[in-house]
Amino acid sequence: MNGRSISILLATFLASLAFIPPAAAQKDLAVVVNPGNPITNVSLGELRKLFNGEKRSWPGGMAVKLIVRAPGNRERTALLQFLNLSETDYKQHWTALVVRGEADTEPFAAPSIGMVLEAVRALPGAISLVYVGDLKPGVKVIKIDGLLPGAPGYLLR
Amino acid sequence: MLRVSNTAVAFLALAASLWAQDSAPSDQKTIALLVQQVKALQQETSDLREKVRKLEGDRAPAAPAGARTEAAAPQSAQVTPPEITTPHPTAEATPPESSPELTAAMHDLHGIQWRGFGELDYQALDQRQPELGTYGFVPGSAANFYTGDFDLFLHSRLTEKTSVLADISFEEGDAQSYKLDLRQALLKYEMNEYLKISLGRYQTDIGYYNSAYRSAAWLQTTADRPLIMEYASNGGLLPTQAVGISITGAIPSGKLGLNYIAEYGTSDTIRPDLNGAGTVNDENDGNHVLVGWFAHPDWAPGLQIGGSFFHDKISDAETSLADRFGQTILNSYVVYIAHGIESLNEVFLIRETQLATGAVSNTPAFYSQISRRWGRVRPFVRYQYVNASGRNTIFNDVGLRAGPSFGARYDFNDYVAFKAQLDHTQRESLPDLNGLHLQVAFTF
Repeated sequence: MNGRSISILLATFLASLAFIPPAAAQKDLAVVVNPGNPITNVSLGELRKLFNGEKRSWPGGMAVKLIVRAPGNRERTALLQFLNLSETDYKQHWTALVVRGEADTEPFAAPSIGMVLEAVRALPGAISLVYVGDLKPGVKVIKIDGLLPGAPGYLLR
Repeated sequence: MLRVSNTAVAFLALAASLWAQDSAPSDQKTIALLVQQVKALQQETSDLREKVRKLEGDRAPAAPAGARTEAAAPQSAQVTPPEITTPHPTAEATPPESSPELTAAMHDLHGIQWRGFGELDYQALDQRQPELGTYGFVPGSAANFYTGDFDLFLHSRLTEKTSVLADISFEEGDAQSYKLDLRQALLKYEMNEYLKISLGRYQTDIGYYNSAYRSAAWLQTTADRPLIMEYASNGGLLPTQAVGISITGAIPSGKLGLNYIAEYGTSDTIRPDLNGAGTVNDENDGNHVLVGWFAHPDWAPGLQIGGSFFHDKISDAETSLADRFGQTILNSYVVYIAHGIESLNEVFLIRETQLATGAVSNTPAFYSQISRRWGRVRPFVRYQYVNASGRNTIFNDVGLRAGPSFGARYDFNDYVAFKAQLDHTQRESLPDLNGLHLQVAFTF
């Protein structure tokens, strides 16, 4: 193998690195929605209102379908930190929303990431949080305050 | 470590190579046959998956065409942005995992959803003169068990925008008798986030507490409601319920998160005197008007501030039904619930004007409640104050009442909580009242 071949191989390897998210981005939480949802960006405040059940419809009137992970999973822990609620407080919060008629039921708690992704693919108004490393095709990642996961200043992790 | 791994891989490759060379021709044929069978099975599985996808696609009538396409062919839709392209672009999407839970979640909930709340209370006072708001107390007894409210909340979604909500309460009365109260019965229509209409019997939006906790003891941190927020049927001062129309929605206000409330309805209230004398005051309310607002600022998650203005005309049944009073109730509140902290602070001014004479009486009231969760335990402190004007003939049984409550709530699990609360109440022209209140509250 001559020096030119080695250079080409090295250049190819370095170029491929550009398509692999850095380790830090893998730890970012992506906000995923159904690909049919025209939304591309939400503010952090809007995201909080979506996940605490205060905002229940997308622009255009489509109902928001929250998909969250079951208790004990890291996505669930991150969601509770984002909402500044404990698990008990989260359940009480949703019970209160149901009693007030502001929600039909507590959000569906998926036991696996595969189920989260399947639900987001299948439900037009679905939204969920998925770590970048767990992303699979068929869902749409939206920006938070104009930033995608991995971007400097991205707050959700 | 890397060197060891490389050596192991090389050794395994060599062993496999040697094994392959040593294999008899018949073994090779067997392997080829097995490979062929595996391929056939893979093809069969793939065909079956495709059929299942087609069937599920046919059974999803509500999904828009675009969404159905995505669901039917998830492998064809690579929509992750280039900035976060998946590390293995050639990797196939994982096949869908089907489960009853997911199937349920993927379909809108129809039928009636039930939610129940119950409580068992034990209350001891250092006075033998019974008071209302203490439920099971009988004259001469200073400590009793009672069951308070047993509530059934029903919710049914009729269409994506229309639903029905009801709160059926079995309220304990005297001698273990129970009174049925339809505390809420609402037909709700949500056009969008800016316009939500409710028709029927509703909890008035006077104050935060009345709309946030309804009649479920399990939802409350404390064992009882603050006196100013107590249901009128238990001696509370405010028209906590009404029949009519309630409209609410968001006001486009950016990060301020403003919402409006408007109510028009009949809030006819019958209020028994607190002192348990048996006098019942039918206020014969007219049609009330309530306008209010609240804000959830983006910059302070967990904070809610709001206020309302309520106006109605009522009578004092103890004097003359024809003697009407204009009743105006002003409320403002600051509530913070986040990071395990709960801080509820509300202030009220009830202003009654005798229409015939123009005489005015004011009844100021407030309560402040702070609690903090440590694991399953949530200790709390509350101070409440109500000062009914001596000139007010409608609240002549109330006078001045003020005092602190201390206690803690312990959540056994997500459904059962135990509360212990100590109350001290100063009462105008009456001995101070000290009480112990124990409660097991549950939801199901």
